[in-house]
Formats: sequence, C-alpha cells, structure tokens
Amino acid sequence: MKNNRIRILYIDDEVHNLNAFRANFRRSYEIYTANSAAEGLQVLKGIEVHIIIADQKMPTTTGVEFFNQIKDLLPDPIRILLTGYTDVEDIIDAINKGHIFSYIKKPWDEHELFKTINNAYEIYSARKQLKEKVLELEKTNDELNRFIYSTSHDLRAPLMSVQGIINLSRLDNSMTDPQGYMGMIEVCITRLDSFIQKIIEYYRNSRLDLEFEKIDFNLLIDDCIDTFKHQNTSINFNVKVDQLVPFKGDFFRISVILNNLISNAVKYQKPDESSPQVNLSVKVEPHKATIRIEDNGIGILSEHLSNIFKMFFRSKNNNKPGSGIGLYIVKEALSKIGGTIGVDSRYGEGTQFEITIPNRNEFDS
Amino acid sequence: MNSIPDLRVILIDDNDIDLLLHERLISIQQLSHTILSFSNANKALEFLSSNITLPHIPPTVILLDIQMPEMDGFEFLRSFDSYPQKIKNQCYIIMVSSSLDFGDISRTNANPMVIRLLKKPLQPKELKEVIENIFKEQ
Repeated sequence: MKNNRIRILYIDDEVHNLNAFRANFRRSYEIYTANSAAEGLQVLKGIEVHIIIADQKMPTTTGVEFFNQIKDLLPDPIRILLTGYTDVEDIIDAINKGHIFSYIKKPWDEHELFKTINNAYEIYSARKQLKEKVLELEKTNDELNRFIYSTSHDLRAPLMSVQGIINLSRLDNSMTDPQGYMGMIEVCITRLDSFIQKIIEYYRNSRLDLEFEKIDFNLLIDDCIDTFKHQNTSINFNVKVDQLVPFKGDFFRISVILNNLISNAVKYQKPDESSPQVNLSVKVEPHKATIRIEDNGIGILSEHLSNIFKMFFRSKNNNKPGSGIGLYIVKEALSKIGGTIGVDSRYGEGTQFEITIPNRNEFDS
Repeated sequence: MNSIPDLRVILIDDNDIDLLLHERLISIQQLSHTILSFSNANKALEFLSSNITLPHIPPTVILLDIQMPEMDGFEFLRSFDSYPQKIKNQCYIIMVSSSLDFGDISRTNANPMVIRLLKKPLQPKELKEVIENIFKEQ
C-alpha cells in the first residue's frame, strides 16, 4: 500500500512551513522535506518522488534556480513553485526556465494545494504511462524490423543453394529432364526470390536514413533497363533524359522506385502486341525532377486505379505473377523522399506513371 | 587453367551444400586440382598458419562466405591480415554471399584484401573469369 502513495518533496527554508505542510498532508501523501536546495538534492538522490514543491525565496538557491538545476537530471517529477508574494517576473521566469507545472501563493490554501497536487500527480502518471507505451512500441517495432531482416536473409540463403544445384545439374548434364521440371522449379525460385527482395527493399526503405548524392539519370535508367530487358526482348525502350542541371537525391530509394515501375512496364505487356513500347522521360529542374514512365501494355481497370498503391493489392484482370507489394514500396519510398506519384491508365491501351522528386542539390554560390 | 598448375582453392562456408556445389563448379571447369573445404573459418586459419613454414606456398584462391557462425567472413579477414606477407601475397580472396545488404557489400568493397564479391548462386562462367583474371594480370 505504502508504495502506491504519492511521494512529495517540499523544500522551504522556513522550518515552520515544512512542519505545517507535514501536519496538513502527511495522512494523504508520503512527505519528504528539506530546508535548502542542497538538502533537497540529497533527498532526491535517494528517493524517487513524484512531485517537488519548492519555495521561491530561499537563501543561496531560489526555487526557480533549483528547478532549473535539476530539470535535465530529473525531468519526470512535476514541479510546483510556492511564492510568498506575486512577483510576476519570477513566475514567468519559472515557467519558462524550470518546466514548472503550477505556482501556489503563500500562505497556501489547503484545498487549492490539495487539488494542485492531485492534478500534478495525474499528469505525472499519464506521462509515465505514455513513456512506457512509447518504449514498448519502439521495442516491438525494432524487433519486427530485425525479424523481417533476418528472416528474409535466412530464407534467401537456402533458395540460392537450390538455384545453385540447378545450375550445377545443367553444367554437368547429370539430370535427364525431358519434361522441363528444372525450368519450372527455377521459375518458382525466381518468383520467391523477387518477393524476398521486395521485403528487403521495404525494410531498408523504412529503416535507412536518407542519403543525398549526385544522380545521373542517364546512367541510372540504363542500369534499370539492363536489369529487365531480357525478360521481354521485343520491347522497344525510348529514353529521353533532359538533365542540364545537377541532381541530388537518395540513390537507393530512387532506384527502387524506378526499378519497380520499369519492371511493371515490362511485365504487364499484352502478349499479342506487335510493337511493345516503354517510354521513359526525365526532366531535371533546379528544384525537382519529373519522371514519366509510359507503356502500351494491358493497362489497369479504372475501378482498380485507386487501389494499386495499397499493400498486397493485385489487379485480377491479369494472370501475371506478382506479390502486390511493388507499387506499395514505390509509394512508401516516395513519401520518404518527399516525392509524388500520379497514374493514368486505359484498360487495354497502356499505363502512364508520372513521379516528381525534389532536387536536393544545394545552390552553389 | 594450365598456366597455373599448382593453383589451389580454399573454400570457407558453413553451408555443406554450398561447399559441395562450389567444389563441383571448380572441378567440372577444371579451375584447380586442389580444393580444400572448411566449414569453419577458424579451421581454415589454422590450416593457413600451418603453411607458413612451407618453403614454397602455392598460389591460393580463397572463396570466403560472409555470414557464418562463430567466425564470420569479416572476422576471418581481420585475423588473416596479421599473417606474414609471405603467405598473404599468395592468397587471393573472393567473398561469396547471398546477402543483398548494402552494408556488407560496401564493407567488402572497402577491404583491400578482397578481390571481388560474388553473389550466390555462383555463376560458373563468372567464377571462371574472375579466377582467370587474377592470374592474367600477373
């Protein structure tokens, strides 16, 4: 029971005030007293109090000075200042400097002080609870992230071994496989692996700090196209980069965004299209870059357009394999770097994405 | 690889299957006649220190995995760095990992002892080219 009581430290150089306070409140609270700031500090070293009441006018150290002294060391206890006279300067000073919850005029009114103490304690416990919740959330969040990270790595290692075994069986011709089962296994491996890679991208986007570096869009887009063009060699890529001013941005996130969008443009082509096209244009201005990615693929049903950036949403009008996480990562990455995305699509005709990314290039002067 | 007849390859990987795979990749492509596999980086270090007294240390390619229990690839590199030049000069380290972690990749690139980082699964051709290039430059 005793542990649940509100603990109060009262500091005042006038001993009869300390005694009066003790007499008034000892039945309701656990009370500690000190007759100087120095003695108060001694008490605080040994006992964790919830509320500190200090008299303003004390020799050597005033109440405000005392609160100011301890606010970094002991931010949690709620502070109440007692002043014998209404010195506005003191009070303003106290509230600004010392993080003081309230002030009480001397001589105190028992009911007022009682109410103030109870209010102060309510704030104390609310803050404490909030702090605990925040800590708890941070811990869960951290654990979840580490879980995602290590799971995706641990999942990937054996998958790469499986792929290695298939590669080896081809190299030494040790397997007869007239039905092409190895190829099917390989397709499944690639699918699972690209999903794992997406999870790692998601993890890195949510965790890594922004890092701005110079980006040459010609090189970046060529790299992206190189990654995906083998998936459909009949696609004609038209690239137009208009970069007359330097551009600085977060390389990892921008390449994740472009990779996902270009991969989609390559993947969602019409099977019977005679001249599949992917048009890419970049325009760099001093304050932003605008990138347009346009394809003449299968397009997106208009009723699905508003859902495509949602996690795990997959349009049902195609039977292409996908995880439904790519565009979600694009949107998350853009929101990290302060960019925007717009989409325009006609079902059966093609899709166009337009993204803008702020240019972090500081003006050279 | 007729040019370097006494070339040997040391494989360090905690995954038995990957050890076997890499062993086969090397022997099928006849990259080396001598392949030594270690599933524990400490054991590989012990072996290398037993080589210090040899009058002639053969040219050695080390395929080093990054993520391993007990001693990982980076810890191996740190210990190996204190070995005498005589043996270090004969060893060419290729790091091998399925990691996509940028931290691992940049740490590997920053290490002067590492020739290359190859991603798992090892591509037979790529492995062959990297090893051939090591000895072409000499």
